[in-house]
Amino acid sequence: MSIVQLNHIRKVYDTKVAVDDLSFTIEPGTMFGLLGPNGSGKTSSIRMMIGITVPDSGSVSLFDQPFTRSALPRVGYLPEERGLYKKMNVLDQLIFLGQLHGLSASVASRRASLWCERLDIVEAIPKKTEDLSKGMQQKIQFIAALLHDPDLILMDEPFSGLDPVNSFLMMSTLVDLCSIGKAVLFSTHRMDQVEKFCNNIALIHRGHLVLSGSMREIKSIYPRNRVLIHFEGGDGFLNHPSIEHVKRYNGNVEIKLRPSATLDEDAQSLLAQAIAHARVSRFEVMEPTLEEIFIEKVQETSPVKNDRDLSLAQLDQPNKGGLDA
Amino acid sequence: MHNVWLIARREYVERVRTRGFLITTVMIPLIMGALLFGSAFVSSKSEPGTHIAVVSSDPQLALDLQSELQQQVTRPSSAKHPQFTVDAMDIVPQSAQATRTILDQELDSGDLDGYLWITPAATPARAESARPTFTFTPRSSEQSYLRSQLAAALGTVLMREQLAHHGIVADDADTMLQPVDILTAHVPHHDDRESAEVSITILFVLMYMVIALYGMNVARSIIEEKTSRIFEVMLATIRPEEMMAGKILGVGSVGITQVGIWLTAALLLSASAIASNLGGQGIHVALTAAQIVYFFVYFILGYAFYSSIAAALGAMTNSEHELQQLNLFLVLPLVVCFVTLKSILTYPDSAMARVLALIPPFTPLLMYLRVSLGHPSHWTVFASIALTSASIYAIVWVSSRIYRVGVLMYGKRPTLPELLRWLKYS
Repeated sequence: MSIVQLNHIRKVYDTKVAVDDLSFTIEPGTMFGLLGPNGSGKTSSIRMMIGITVPDSGSVSLFDQPFTRSALPRVGYLPEERGLYKKMNVLDQLIFLGQLHGLSASVASRRASLWCERLDIVEAIPKKTEDLSKGMQQKIQFIAALLHDPDLILMDEPFSGLDPVNSFLMMSTLVDLCSIGKAVLFSTHRMDQVEKFCNNIALIHRGHLVLSGSMREIKSIYPRNRVLIHFEGGDGFLNHPSIEHVKRYNGNVEIKLRPSATLDEDAQSLLAQAIAHARVSRFEVMEPTLEEIFIEKVQETSPVKNDRDLSLAQLDQPNKGGLDA
Repeated sequence: MHNVWLIARREYVERVRTRGFLITTVMIPLIMGALLFGSAFVSSKSEPGTHIAVVSSDPQLALDLQSELQQQVTRPSSAKHPQFTVDAMDIVPQSAQATRTILDQELDSGDLDGYLWITPAATPARAESARPTFTFTPRSSEQSYLRSQLAAALGTVLMREQLAHHGIVADDADTMLQPVDILTAHVPHHDDRESAEVSITILFVLMYMVIALYGMNVARSIIEEKTSRIFEVMLATIRPEEMMAGKILGVGSVGITQVGIWLTAALLLSASAIASNLGGQGIHVALTAAQIVYFFVYFILGYAFYSSIAAALGAMTNSEHELQQLNLFLVLPLVVCFVTLKSILTYPDSAMARVLALIPPFTPLLMYLRVSLGHPSHWTVFASIALTSASIYAIVWVSSRIYRVGVLMYGKRPTLPELLRWLKYS
């Protein structure tokens, strides 16, 4: 059984192809990361999963059935653009949103209190929404998405603007839900979050699926050709022949080794040379980060010039105006 | 349907709870009442007396005219005429020019409202038939209404003079010259038309205000949801059509509640003794049950019509500011109704009234006037309701499509071709 199944969906807005030929499946009990830079089609894909917009072609199935609105009470959605009724009392608001998802007022009220306890915001219950801090409002919205005990939880950029403590609290809540068999999809452009928590990922870029599969599989495809060295002293060792590319930072370097069959030995020889030149406080051989894989993949699939400059700084830029694709 | 009910209820409860609702509910009747009583007070009490001068070489004529003008005021039929103060002045032929100058100065300074210059007839030999020339100089064109009053008074005075000439006793002359008063008899089922007109006008203004106000409220609440982005959560479970319907119903119910409170209060007040003491001069609510029922029928039609337009406007725009620019579509037809109010109030069955009242944007307000004060045939009333309902259906259809796309759209305002494309979008 699959919770979500997208079959070659395509969505075109007036001039822009938002999503093109996108397919993936989400199984119960998975934490699914939908990754991509801003404007890559994450929000458009999520909106099509819950019928806010309809794909131009392709099909969406929820819970093994072709999409119908009757499946929606089993879905919890946290939109990227947070929104709550500002003037409304928090409890009333949660009850109202719960009722829209088919709960009775009394059940919604009881669950709302339980969730507020769990997320440590009991003091917010009697307040007006506009009197809460932004972080607290996010938690309320998070609760609103989970109140009706959905089997599929869709979180569009759930941690943007949250402090680390609260991000962790929400993440561990999601992990708990996952462990009892709920399917969680969250979209993000923060690759580091995905590496820690997701079982499965889909990388999309300009509406196209670039890479998908389980985290372990993906990582295992890539050789451990990255070396991180923290050191003090001269950097003369950086002329080592197996180095393909070096990024220099303050007191440390990130090295990419040349492709070769003997990567492990190359790394050891590099370590030896480094110790000869400087005082090494840290040395680590790793597989490429998801971010690097992503950039590499994007460059492979669409060798457009400006993709070369794709970096985190660019990824973090907020998207302003227009239909968020 | 359940979702529509949930949304409507939320909208209703949240709005009725606000302080703004309480304030408008209390303040608007107070302001309207103050305006009505105020204008009644101003027109009854502070109407300034009219001060005119009569310049005549015949002091008797001047005095007669003076007493005639002052008498007019005391007659019941002329209760509305202002108090007259008449100065009789002698004319000295040599200083005629000087007299005129003085009078003109007094006109300029506002001491006089006008003066009547009586030039004796050229041939005094045949005094009975030759009449003097009367020249009235009003201060401004505003005072020209005095002319007819002066003419009437002069006519009476001259007539009495002539009668006296013919040897008729003054008392008999007075009886003969007694003006005829026509009393208005009251038709049993149509009592007190004047006060009905006042009440209907108040209801008309009320309907106009509430429709405009709550129509804008619908648009505003949609914009608010667009800016707060709440609708995206909502759209994850409900259809845009349900959301729009819920909004219109919820906001509209608030309007009906408010009008209901006002009407109940007005009826209670007019029934109680306070009203008859306070507003004895015809300002009391005289409404038949049919007029009230029709009020709600046409109010609901009008509200549904304008609020669904407003919903579309709200969905097309992103801010209050942009809404103001499109406001015209909403307000213009309402203003047209307002402009025609006076003529339709006077002639509710005129050709213009009959045509306009059947055009859907104007129907709610204008047909209500006709139904209340005129005599439209049953089929006209039925046709007006049917036509408006049909056009409401069409507008809701178009609006919900605009709403569906527009609510997810943010950024720039759509152009007309884009709007047309939205309509085709499922």
